[in-house]
Amino acid sequence: MTSAVARDDEATDRELIDQAHAGQRDAQDALARRHRQGAFLLALQMLGNRDDAMDVAQDAMLRFFTTLDSFDREHRVQPWLFTIVRNQVRDLWRRRQRRPGDGLVDGEALAGQLVDHSANPEADLRRQQLRKSVWRAVATLSETKREIIVLRDFHDLSYNDIADVLKIPIGTVMSRLHGARKQLKAKLKEGGRDV
Amino acid sequence: MSEPCGRTFDEALISGYVDGALVQGDAQRVQIHLEDCASCRALVDEITSVRKVTISSAFATPADHEWPAEAPRSTASRTARRLGWPVLAAWAILVAGVGLLEAWRDADDLLERLILVAGVSGLSLLFLSVLLDRLKASKSDRYQEVHK
Repeated sequence: MTSAVARDDEATDRELIDQAHAGQRDAQDALARRHRQGAFLLALQMLGNRDDAMDVAQDAMLRFFTTLDSFDREHRVQPWLFTIVRNQVRDLWRRRQRRPGDGLVDGEALAGQLVDHSANPEADLRRQQLRKSVWRAVATLSETKREIIVLRDFHDLSYNDIADVLKIPIGTVMSRLHGARKQLKAKLKEGGRDV
Repeated sequence: MSEPCGRTFDEALISGYVDGALVQGDAQRVQIHLEDCASCRALVDEITSVRKVTISSAFATPADHEWPAEAPRSTASRTARRLGWPVLAAWAILVAGVGLLEAWRDADDLLERLILVAGVSGLSLLFLSVLLDRLKASKSDRYQEVHK
């Protein structure tokens, strides 16, 4: 018999959600395995702290499954989950009595979480140093600019999906993203790092 | 309004161009401008280079065993639990009501009935105070918007 777990890789999110709705635990597990790392990474990039990111990602996954009934199956899972992660991050900041504008992260800590999966890490050393510089600079951006850079230039979300996550018009996505990219470029120049 | 480099469109369109997010007309305007403008071409190259660096980054992610082994409850399980509590509460109220009624009937004198009334009144006041506190807390929950 082919179980839902065995079909994990081939099943679409929509199929898995239908199965999860029907109470199939395998489908829930498969959905969780497919999307939890993305939730963790977004939280990490917004918070810069691995433990906080893990807490947020776990809470977000739990909330994702408890609100599955209200999920519109015509939409994609990732933007929906990222919206939850973003809310959880803001909730954490509020609990800690910080304003959203104060949500700067420790660039060294964030860059320290980078790993090198290249076949020849020594040859790719310069490239990895460059990645660290860029993420240190990303960490210094305001929360608003950092989140849009991360959503587009790391998670590769479309403008439509970003508009859904941030609840802004698509035109605003383009202008905000461009402003963030220009500021990132300026920060890299300040740090003496031309990419 | 024309920019010093001769550009006649919003600079943000350059990001849209890099991302392939422009409608055909806008993409053509940007393309034509880029053919003659070295500074905007340099901007396109810089945005593209930084994006290549970020998108090719990999971060350490939690291993499978670091995630909770227990998957979130299924819809059926949550529905059963949601229904279960009200049913249990209704049963408890019914049993308590019948018990009180029987105790009232069995009470031999005024003192026993007074003790019964005092006990029920005390419990009711305690329940009411907790209920009022909960209602007040839910109205002033500053995280309500975040939880939506």
